[in-house]
Amino acid sequence: MAYRDTAHDDHSHGNVAYIVIFFALMIFTAISIVADVVHIPSAALKTVIVMSVAVAKATCVLLFFMHIKFEGNWKYILLAPTTILAIGLPIALMPDVATSYYIRDVPQKYDYDEFMAVHGDHGEEHSEGDHQEDGHAAEHSHDDADHHEGDADKHHKDSQNPEQGDETSGADATESSVK
Amino acid sequence: MSDSSSHSAGSNLKMGLPIPNSKLGMWLFLGTEIMFFTAFIGSYIVLRMGSQGWPSDPHVTHINVFAGGFNTFVLIVSSYFVVLAHEAMLHKNFDKARKFLWMTTMAGVVFMGVKSFEYYGKITHNILPGQIAENDWQAAEQAMSEFDDAVEETGLQDKKIQLSELQLQIAKASDDKSEAEIKADAEKKEQIQPEIDKLVKKDTELNDEFYSEGVTKEVKADLRSRIISVEDEIYDLDPLQGLNLQIKNRELFANHVKNFKTYVKAEEWDFAGLTQEVNTLKESYPEQASHVHEPHVILYGNIFASTYFLMTGFHAIHVIVGLILFGMVLKQGSNLDETWTDWVENSGLYWHFVDLVWIFLFPLLYIVDFT
Repeated sequence: MAYRDTAHDDHSHGNVAYIVIFFALMIFTAISIVADVVHIPSAALKTVIVMSVAVAKATCVLLFFMHIKFEGNWKYILLAPTTILAIGLPIALMPDVATSYYIRDVPQKYDYDEFMAVHGDHGEEHSEGDHQEDGHAAEHSHDDADHHEGDADKHHKDSQNPEQGDETSGADATESSVK
Repeated sequence: MSDSSSHSAGSNLKMGLPIPNSKLGMWLFLGTEIMFFTAFIGSYIVLRMGSQGWPSDPHVTHINVFAGGFNTFVLIVSSYFVVLAHEAMLHKNFDKARKFLWMTTMAGVVFMGVKSFEYYGKITHNILPGQIAENDWQAAEQAMSEFDDAVEETGLQDKKIQLSELQLQIAKASDDKSEAEIKADAEKKEQIQPEIDKLVKKDTELNDEFYSEGVTKEVKADLRSRIISVEDEIYDLDPLQGLNLQIKNRELFANHVKNFKTYVKAEEWDFAGLTQEVNTLKESYPEQASHVHEPHVILYGNIFASTYFLMTGFHAIHVIVGLILFGMVLKQGSNLDETWTDWVENSGLYWHFVDLVWIFLFPLLYIVDFT
């Protein structure tokens, strides 16, 4: 078991270092909370601050609490593949979900303006103005269309062809985005 | 034996890594854990960035930065205690190690306590994946289905079946009865009739009071229990009449729900009107409709709840596993010795990893804003 002794020799740094790391982690956490409470005007800045703090905290925990700093070179072999895969996964997902040139067809999208009008601003900002056309697209799918005839100008599409009223919202939505 | 001595002389030729196998195993496991959590965290970030909006108002999402911040502190403290516990194990100071492991475990329990409190708030506000209305119509549909469930819970249908079975029984029995028996029955009925009438009158009074204006919730609950006991008394005397009364009372609520559904389906309401209708119905029938939620709409609430519960849920499971690992050391009590040093080191590594995941979950769930 000689090899184990050499491994444990690395722990010669005493409790002093640990308590420094501990206080550093506490201060970092406090910074994150303060960053949320003081209402930084730029959301991007706030995100950058708290994520940098998280990375700094993670580095502290990994290097000192998990002793990575004092381990042999096996740590690179062991951690490189998982790190590469972990970073690769979100990047691989990115083009499918987070960035796309087309407008996504989700029922919520067509309710957004109407929702904001009724339920007020819940802290989200919304800049895209490309879907004022039919706020009720999702509702059409629920029932037959004849009771929409009252407010004709909002539901003009419906009263023109009421037999299409019970089509899915997806079909309605494609129609309006083509228009 | 000579073989082993030659080995220690040329120790450079030893196979494998210069760490215990268990530690190598733990690190490999943590490697897979990194990928496991990155899959969830990565999907969350990508979904959130790809979403048109995201519920971020703490009053809507019931996300409390102080609860999350407190839990971050708790986990960091516990991580520090594990480090000290391992250090004490290396110095063969096992009492000290046990003390720190106890403190770590307590911190883990506190973390779980705060987490359950947060979960409880979300569950009572119905912030659960697949349960959140994302537009007015969904809110209305949810209210309708919850009222339907409430009607079913009153047991109206069961009572109706019971009644028809009873009627069938009575009809069958009367066919077989002799004239004398029928006469005896009628006499008996006449005897108890004044008692029944008294009870029915009391039932009507109580019901009138129950549905009159300005009755508080507590009074209503009391009245309801009195109505139920009066109807049970009537049922004991005359099952047929008792059942009829019970059905009549339950049908009041069922009819109100039916009216509500007609109102919703007429589609001449706005959200404020819907809320008012639901609340009126809830106030009129506090017990029957106690599980019906006041309508609320959270746009993108379902994807939010899905990701939130997936990440925090898996993290909480990891915390529980960590507590079990420490519990197995603590079970040794004063018998703790150096054979457990590797165990403490490895479970400590695992615990730091759990802390590490939370270090990222905290800002991502409680603070960040991708607009």
